[in-house]
Amino acid sequence: MRTYWITWSVLLVFTVVMLWADSASLPRQAFVVFMLIAMLTKASIIGANFMHLKGERVQLILTVVVGLLVTGAVLYVLIAPDAVRIHHMVEIYGPR
Amino acid sequence: MVDTEVDRIEHWAGGHHAAIAGWRKVMMWWFIVTDGLLFAGFLASYGYARVLAFHWPPQAEVFSLKYIAAMTFVLITSSATMASAVQDAKHGRRGGALKYVLLTALGGLAFLGMQAYEWTHLIGEGARLTHNPWGDASFGAYFFLLTGFHGTHVLTGVIILLTTAVRLSKGITKEEGVEMAGLYWHFVDLVWVFIFTLFYLL
Repeated sequence: MRTYWITWSVLLVFTVVMLWADSASLPRQAFVVFMLIAMLTKASIIGANFMHLKGERVQLILTVVVGLLVTGAVLYVLIAPDAVRIHHMVEIYGPR
Repeated sequence: MVDTEVDRIEHWAGGHHAAIAGWRKVMMWWFIVTDGLLFAGFLASYGYARVLAFHWPPQAEVFSLKYIAAMTFVLITSSATMASAVQDAKHGRRGGALKYVLLTALGGLAFLGMQAYEWTHLIGEGARLTHNPWGDASFGAYFFLLTGFHGTHVLTGVIILLTTAVRLSKGITKEEGVEMAGLYWHFVDLVWVFIFTLFYLL
């Protein structure tokens, strides 16, 4: 039971730090990278501790993680070319 | 090797322990993965809109980030109470599990109430699906889409939790039922982590 409340505190600290980063005037790129790392860390903590993936059999962990990675990779392959094209279009023609 | 008719039925009955976990748990995880992809699609689409937007409203001017942080606090706390409910159920402490399930449902209801207030406030200020007073027209559409779908998941979660509580009090729902409700609830919390960061902060 204690682990869950420690996890809760860690998640809370992450949230507060993210809010602080939002109000601090960090360079945009550093801010985005920091936020993405913090977001993925929070998500991993929830998955590992609250959803008990940490204590699951490796078969189940692989089922979930490989499933997410493969489908994520498929989405990326399908979306990334268009995302790059949009960036180029915005550079050439300006925003919508 | 299949020797008898009984063995044959057992063999093809759809194993009880795929991935060395109960079939309910495996199915719940697959549901979570696929439902997660739904939100991934929404967020990817939102990313496009952000890149293409002429003027995306600065979130700090539209939302009270302290209020959104309070909503996040409520959801994280409800996840902790849910994890405690699962733990109590696993150790056969039905009373404790019931108490924590009800507390989690209360957290969910509080979150929904806060979201309803936020929606009412923004609609009052002119936010619509098609336009809004702050900037790019798609801002309102993505706000209602993302928070609306998430809110619907929270509402579903609350219904699942209340049903679980009633069944738990009658002794119908066992440890695994509480665990499944817990997995769904943590997933709802997990999705909020992404929405909170990508929509409200970035």
